[in-house]
Amino acid sequence: MSGSGIATGEFSPKLGYGATLAIACLWMTPFVWMLVAAFNPQSIGAGMASLIPDYVPTLANFREAWASADFPRYGLNTVIITLGILAVQLVTITLAGYAFARLEFPGRTLCFYLFLLQLMLAPVVLIVPNLTTIAKLGLYDTLLGVMAPYFASAFGAFLMRQAFRAIPRELEDAALIDGASVLQRIRLIYLPLAKPSLIAFSIVSVTAHWNEFLWPLMVINSPDLRPLTVGLASFTRGAEGAQAWGVIAAGTLMVSAPLLIAFALFQRAFVNSFVSSGIK
Amino acid sequence: MTSTRRTVLAATAFAATLALSPAFAQAPIEIELFFPVPVDGQLARDMTTMVKEFNEKHPAIKATPVYTGSYDETLIKTRAAMKAGKPPAAVIMSANFLLDLKIEGEIQKLDDLIKTDGKTNDAFMGQFFKALHGNAVLDRSVYGVPFHNSTPLLYVNADHFREAGLDPDKLPTNWEELAAAAKKLTKREGDRVTRWGVMAPSNYDYGGWILQALTHSNGGQWFNPEFGGEVYYDTPSMLGALTFWSDLVAKHKVHPAGVQAGGAVSSAFLAGQASMMLLSTGSLTHIRTNAKFPYKVAFVPRNVRNEVPIGGASLVIPTGVEDARKKAAWTLITWMTNPEKSGWWSRATGYLAPNMAAYDLPEMKAFIEKNPDAGIAVKQLDVAKPWFATYKTVTVRKAIEDELQAVLSGKKQPKEALVAAQKNADEIMKPFVEQTALKLPTN
Repeated sequence: MSGSGIATGEFSPKLGYGATLAIACLWMTPFVWMLVAAFNPQSIGAGMASLIPDYVPTLANFREAWASADFPRYGLNTVIITLGILAVQLVTITLAGYAFARLEFPGRTLCFYLFLLQLMLAPVVLIVPNLTTIAKLGLYDTLLGVMAPYFASAFGAFLMRQAFRAIPRELEDAALIDGASVLQRIRLIYLPLAKPSLIAFSIVSVTAHWNEFLWPLMVINSPDLRPLTVGLASFTRGAEGAQAWGVIAAGTLMVSAPLLIAFALFQRAFVNSFVSSGIK
Repeated sequence: MTSTRRTVLAATAFAATLALSPAFAQAPIEIELFFPVPVDGQLARDMTTMVKEFNEKHPAIKATPVYTGSYDETLIKTRAAMKAGKPPAAVIMSANFLLDLKIEGEIQKLDDLIKTDGKTNDAFMGQFFKALHGNAVLDRSVYGVPFHNSTPLLYVNADHFREAGLDPDKLPTNWEELAAAAKKLTKREGDRVTRWGVMAPSNYDYGGWILQALTHSNGGQWFNPEFGGEVYYDTPSMLGALTFWSDLVAKHKVHPAGVQAGGAVSSAFLAGQASMMLLSTGSLTHIRTNAKFPYKVAFVPRNVRNEVPIGGASLVIPTGVEDARKKAAWTLITWMTNPEKSGWWSRATGYLAPNMAAYDLPEMKAFIEKNPDAGIAVKQLDVAKPWFATYKTVTVRKAIEDELQAVLSGKKQPKEALVAAQKNADEIMKPFVEQTALKLPTN
């Protein structure tokens, strides 16, 4: 903490703005470069490193990227995967969160900690056991196979438990007196009050699965079932060759654009829910 | 009128297919081919085209090309799929992974398939360049069929050479000349370098390969090609090679410090920010299409002798693929490696065609006539040796690559780096060595 911070009890707002701006610039740099490179008519050359466009913009990179992969189909697959996972997750984490927060049963704490242990495992370790299970269930090379391991989420259950515990029990008791069943109580009392947490979790879940590469690469064989990340990688990741930066930038922009647009549209709601759920 | 003609045509075609292939009535055998994309994205499309053509010519087989990421990710996916009981019928596998896969019992001998075709192993392998045998034939059995191969090459910007007063017809042949040329080619503005004399990639997978090329050029061997439990990291030939690379960075200041990825090196070369580079022949087509200046290629310069490792990939059949699927995979493999397809793929990618007969075909002769640089790449195969392959190749390779990156970043001296790499590698190979060379009679 700096001297002035101690004296006034807080940083001066100007300093705060300055620091925010500096960090924002740092974070924006790769994104700006991607934008500049995506419209650059010259895919290779000295101008590629520039952050300031010095050319007549072209859509040629987008045309080539679009032709390199079946983007509409891959996009649809990605949407099915991310929304499918999210839909099931919202049900499972709500029920699990409620159980851990409100139901009394022997070994509840132990169960909860065991559940949390799952967060400590690196996902790569689980590739082979998960794939074996998926194959046994007959889900190898299916979109359901990509989704299945994520149907339960330790992080989500934890988040919902914390959110539910913060809701006064009296509200539930009142509903109980009015004759509401368990499911009604969850639906009418708990869920509306835990909305910020639900939204925050949804964002984390959607971004994570939208961007996931290794697991879908393991499960999917059929070209028709590839998600965007795998489709994009098939023309951007050359080990021995050189790379056409313009096309890569255009392809990456196309893959990330839906998420960016969604975030821009719902920015206010997102930020509010992050603030009130305590995730940063 | 037209409709009747069409009906007749269709009926004839249908009858013909029925007559020609009785198997057509049954469903075709479905096989998968796992393939990495080691060069650029166009290749994913080329591969799809190639497999489609195969399927049209072989109605009894339906092959699906499955994109599996980088070489390393292809290995992970293949192993995971095998453990899950779904081995792919064929995989294009990095040539230096074959030994480790064989030690672990994960790929099949192809001897019986070769025998069924009425050939001996020697006759079968005889169609491929001699330098490629070491990574495909293990313990006298054939485990892989070379699909596309490469060697490291010296690429030179001819305009820069002329501008610096060097003769682009006399490219550096030894390290002395390479360092001298690099010094003349490097351009500085004060302390800032605006053009590097020479660049070479040092990212994982690539760095080890280039260092192996320098080590071989320095008289070294890197590994024991007959036994998977020995590497020669802490040796004079390797010390000379690593010191030379490190000197280009720290002493002569003609090569950028830190880790350089393969894509960054070729981009710098194409952008005119590097005058020379050591890079795979697999990049030839990319450089040819994108270079806006005359360029030349040459053998990797030597210190003691001209010698380089091969790179590239072979087709393998995983363990657990049996009977009809195995036969179908073999049909696909032999078709993909025939002279015609081999040559086509080589022209599309820049990779060398492993099948020597590919270079006798008229279209290949015309191609080399037009692109003499592709011919130099082929000639270097005469002085090429197998790519390093040991028990747990990937981790043994990383043991030296981590140290290489530390040296190029100025964090370590070559000698201490090699001692550390040797120690780590020995540790990794210990279980194998104890089960083989050090397993002695106890009484």
